[in-house]
Amino acid sequence: MSDIRHSLLRRDALSAAKEVLYHLDIYFSSQLQNSPLPLVDKGPTDLLEEFLFQVPKERGAPPKRLTPLQELQLLEIMCNYFQEQTKDSVRQVIFSSLFSPQGNKADDSRMALLGKLVSMAVAVCRVPVLECAAFWLQRTPAVFCVRLARALVDDYCNLVPGSIQTLKQIFTASPRFCCQFITSVTALYDLSSDELIPPSDLLELIVSWIFEDPRLILITFLNTPIAANLPMGFLELTPLTGLIRWCVKAPLAYTRKKKASLSNGHPPSKIAKDSASGEDRDCHQLYSKLHLSVLQVLMMLQGHLTEKNLYGRLGLVPFDHVVPLVEDINRLSDELNPLNASKEIELALDRLAQALQVAMASGALLCTRDDLRTVCSRLPHNNLLQLVISGPVQQPTHGALPPGFYPHIHTPPLGYPALPAHPVQTFIPGVAFPYRPIR
Amino acid sequence: MALCDPPGAASPPRPPLSAQELSQEVKAFLSGLDPVQGTPLSPPAHARCALRLLRCLPPARHAALQHLRGLFDEQVCQHLLQRESPAPGPAPKATPGAEVLQEARRALAELVAANPRAWAPGVAAWASELMGQLSSKYANRPGVPPAASLNELLQLWMACPATRALLDIYSQCLAAMVGSCPDACVDALLDTSVQHSPHFDWVVAHVGSSFPGTIISRVLSCGLKDFCAHGGAEAAGTAGDKRVPKIASVVGILGHLASRHAGSIKQELLRMFHESLGSPREHHKATVPFLLQLALMSPALLAAVSPELVDSLKPPVLNQLHQHFSSVPRDELEGVVGVVVHLLCHTSAGALRTLRFLLATAAPASVITAPGPALHEGVREACERLLQLLLLHLQKLVHSRSSASLAECPARPVPFLEALRPHVRELCQDTLRLERRRCLWQHQLLALLAVHSAPHGAAEALFYLLALARTPEELALAPQLHAGLRAVLPDPLPAAVAAAVAQIHAGRLPEPQLAQLLRNLSLLLQPRGDDGEPGDAALGAALARHLPDLAQLLLHPRAEVAEAACRLLAACPLPRALPPAHLLPAVRAAVRGFFAGLRRGDAAALAPGVRLLARLSAVSPAAAKAVLAQLVEGALGGHNAELFGGSADPPGPEAAPAPPPVSLLDTNQCFTAGLTTAGGVWSVFHAGVIGRGLKPHAGLGQRSPEELNRNTQTFLSLLLRCCRGSGPAEAAKAVAAALVEAVCPEAAGAELAWPPEELARATVERDLRILRRFRQHPLLFPLLRLVAGGHPALCYCSVLLRGLLAGLVAHWDACRDPSTGASPWHLRASCALVALLAEGSLLPPVLGNMHELFPELAPFEVHLLLLSVWGYLRENSPLPQKFTFQPELGVFRRDFGRDGDLSKHLAVLHAVLHRNIHRLGLLAARFYP
Repeated sequence: MSDIRHSLLRRDALSAAKEVLYHLDIYFSSQLQNSPLPLVDKGPTDLLEEFLFQVPKERGAPPKRLTPLQELQLLEIMCNYFQEQTKDSVRQVIFSSLFSPQGNKADDSRMALLGKLVSMAVAVCRVPVLECAAFWLQRTPAVFCVRLARALVDDYCNLVPGSIQTLKQIFTASPRFCCQFITSVTALYDLSSDELIPPSDLLELIVSWIFEDPRLILITFLNTPIAANLPMGFLELTPLTGLIRWCVKAPLAYTRKKKASLSNGHPPSKIAKDSASGEDRDCHQLYSKLHLSVLQVLMMLQGHLTEKNLYGRLGLVPFDHVVPLVEDINRLSDELNPLNASKEIELALDRLAQALQVAMASGALLCTRDDLRTVCSRLPHNNLLQLVISGPVQQPTHGALPPGFYPHIHTPPLGYPALPAHPVQTFIPGVAFPYRPIR
Repeated sequence: MALCDPPGAASPPRPPLSAQELSQEVKAFLSGLDPVQGTPLSPPAHARCALRLLRCLPPARHAALQHLRGLFDEQVCQHLLQRESPAPGPAPKATPGAEVLQEARRALAELVAANPRAWAPGVAAWASELMGQLSSKYANRPGVPPAASLNELLQLWMACPATRALLDIYSQCLAAMVGSCPDACVDALLDTSVQHSPHFDWVVAHVGSSFPGTIISRVLSCGLKDFCAHGGAEAAGTAGDKRVPKIASVVGILGHLASRHAGSIKQELLRMFHESLGSPREHHKATVPFLLQLALMSPALLAAVSPELVDSLKPPVLNQLHQHFSSVPRDELEGVVGVVVHLLCHTSAGALRTLRFLLATAAPASVITAPGPALHEGVREACERLLQLLLLHLQKLVHSRSSASLAECPARPVPFLEALRPHVRELCQDTLRLERRRCLWQHQLLALLAVHSAPHGAAEALFYLLALARTPEELALAPQLHAGLRAVLPDPLPAAVAAAVAQIHAGRLPEPQLAQLLRNLSLLLQPRGDDGEPGDAALGAALARHLPDLAQLLLHPRAEVAEAACRLLAACPLPRALPPAHLLPAVRAAVRGFFAGLRRGDAAALAPGVRLLARLSAVSPAAAKAVLAQLVEGALGGHNAELFGGSADPPGPEAAPAPPPVSLLDTNQCFTAGLTTAGGVWSVFHAGVIGRGLKPHAGLGQRSPEELNRNTQTFLSLLLRCCRGSGPAEAAKAVAAALVEAVCPEAAGAELAWPPEELARATVERDLRILRRFRQHPLLFPLLRLVAGGHPALCYCSVLLRGLLAGLVAHWDACRDPSTGASPWHLRASCALVALLAEGSLLPPVLGNMHELFPELAPFEVHLLLLSVWGYLRENSPLPQKFTFQPELGVFRRDFGRDGDLSKHLAVLHAVLHRNIHRLGLLAARFYP
């Protein structure tokens, strides 16, 4: 490897980067031929960091930077490379070795380049890259996924007006990527503050995708062999929790935002007010639509769970995530109470109740009503929620379980291990992708 | 195909490019080749390609922007080339490049407008960096003005479409962000500014004037940060060099902005200053030195800040400042003090205020402090030290300058002193308050100011000190200053006096002050102390040059002024060779002043007038003559006659007093003042003419005899004093001539020889007039007696004597009363006349005694006696030649022995004596020699 390095050192930044890619391709291709599970040793990674991500090897050496133009060239080369690489496994290995976070200072430029690459792939519709990205999103700690999501949202929702259409198109090209993208976006925009309310373009995009085919939500879940114990710190299998959070919190979050802008001292001009309220109305409809889709998907879920023999064993809507959601609603409704936001609070609680009920019924949420009662006790009064918490026990439709009981009562959900086992991501059977999750 | 669009085709909102098209575009953009034909793209087409990517492909935006750099660079280059080309062709057509440039500008504008938060920071950074690069790159082109001339540079770059477009883009970004958070945009600007400092200043200046609030505070805090980073290296010099450009560009930018946004800059600087006080943070500690450094480099900033800064230095602030600096090491403190002193020297706006502040702080006027926190003692000491150093520094500046001025070096102005120049008056006023130590400093400063702005300023300072002093202690300052100035300058005193006279002429001095000035001057002229050391000779000489101007003041309507002028002139040494043109007005004014004083009846106030006239007459014989003539003329003419018991001539219409400003309307409106007259409204009162007020009283004989006597005595004694100047004979002659001129001007040149009595008939009218004049003016007799005292002089009055004698002869001839007592005036006049003639040695003693008889005689006897006098005079004409000078006595004497026989003239006398021997026996012995 050191002779390659010496030859690379003499080159300019772009051609060195190209060379690295070339060498990497050769290296992994040969490795994969020898063994199905290539050992990625330190050599190629170091080369990548030095020549692709421009992290100077020697201390104090001036960092060689790619100019934006060269960077664009590099992106094009990479896009083309992944497009033309016919072997799925090589592609995956190379993508993973390029962009798996290593916990060092190269990660920043790594993430920046990844963001640009995926953004570029979205624009010029490079399906292989998107597929790789979808897998990357599955195997990478959520913090990094969120960064990628933010980069894409910035590019397609903020920067270029109208380019959201470009993003919309990839629904047909790579549903798997779309699903992962939704998951990461819901993780990013958790409505905990005004900045973390999803842009309306994005919302519309996602609602249109899901409305078109609600099963999109479940693609990852359905196409991934599931180990019952999910690792911590990674994206969830489905965006369900995030979407429920969106639908439930949205009425309150939007009201809070309006209040903040009012109390900021600039009362919006009439036109701005009108357009804002119009936009809000649109958003509310979108959230309603989304809520409906989510409920539909939850209903669907029972079958899939049963199919996979995971019913009652895998909480796709983890109770641990419901608790903070309920707390958030509690806090928000307290905050907004003086503002006569009873309608919004009612709506939020209705949605919460519906989602809880359906999720529990479909086996996505594994908990007892007592748990729920404890959690929801401090919420403002809501008839539906009251019913859901204390209502007549619904007869389970699941035949495997005795009537009147929820599966989890007898088989408590599998607890998360303190140290997650090596995640088993076996989309290429037998090939485990080495990476070091960052804690 | 998008690439094949004609260049000018305005792109309608097209649907987003398909993925296929987009990848084609990317390929074309990167390779620079037309994807269809494989031919190289033209630069404009390439640039359009970049613009499309900018719009459609988010990850490519940096690359696109980078590509556009080339476009702008090329356009700038072209513009400069066009500018340099000697023959500018017709207006350059819009080249494709220029069009693309505008497209790029529009595209960026749209993007920024669409989503400022996402685009503005990046685009702003790009634009500012590109502008920085371009202006650095082309800075050394011939034809590009040097970095120092900001305005030319601004003009050049604003005329260039490419840079103009960039600037517009940047401004749009900043404008879009200014409401929320402009930090990113401004930081980009300042970073570029740091990198491309002097060449880039035009951008900052322009942006700054568009967004003053944002930019000013940013530039300042950026400069401060830099200053802190290199802080303390100032003294080292070498390290300081590196910083110069940075702070220099801060100064340059602020200087550019100062013309229009001085207010904001001032506020911002003051805000920084006050914020820094009492703050323990490191960069706040450096604020004051930083501000000082700024002020040092930019007089404009200094001028903008200093007045308000001084106002804001209240005790709490000062105490904070003191505390702030108390921890600073000594040598650093020295440096700061040095800078402050330097700055003080260069302060011009508000210099007076600054000075007063320093003085008041260094030496508080009163020990009782104002309410509020007390001033720390250290502050006072520091101020005192500053003041002393300032004076020292000024002294250095002023004196090195004055020595340089000998070598014809251009004078280096000291702004502080320049600014104080218009305030010499206030400064003098302050100095004259004589407030302990302040006075010393002020005096020193005044001297420096005088030297600095010599000759005019020196004169002005002296003048004000003279004019404003009220007590002897205050007055002492002027000579002190003068003594100091005389050592370094040509004597400023004449100029000071000239300035004073000019001020007087211009009427700029209020009357009380004018009087004070005159009094002060005369005080300085007084002999000092008991040893009679003469007063200021130089001052006297200077004043004497303005004698006519000062003399005019004698007639000032305000008595105080007139009196002061009189004192001054009386004390003023008069040059021997006074030109008549100067002398005569002075004399005239002095005489009128004297009479005016007499009229007021204030004997004490008269003394200076008398002294002045005496001095004037002592100047030269001619002067004495003039004085006497004026006095006599004055005493007899016009209204002055009544002072001596005379009655004025009936006033002619032109002599009528000017009608007082009476408004009939006003009078009529005073209803209650109206008289209820018996005759009704239409009664006529012969009291005057309507509109002119009351008819003046013909005779104002309200003066008591004592007063008349006193006046006469005063006048005569004055005359006598004035006569002392020349010989008594000469003086008497002058008085005589003046008398003739005053009483009977037409006979002034008449024959001295006595005509036969018959000829008197030819001059009856004149004689009558003369007689009347004598009746009107009782003063004439004393005057004539005075003339008679200076011996031959009375001869020159012979025409008057003749007229009077003729008139009296005619009267007694016609008088049918039994006793002369019936016409008392004529009797007195006859007696007086004869006595006069005797005293003037025109009649021999025996004849001259005959007036003793007159009261006892009958009119016809008096007539006879007077005729005999006439006879004698006819034979022995009163001619000056008959007098001989007697050197041992020093006087002229007439020897009657040489005249003819006296006895025939005594016959009538003796006959009258005999006839009345029963009554006149006692006197007979007097008439028998």
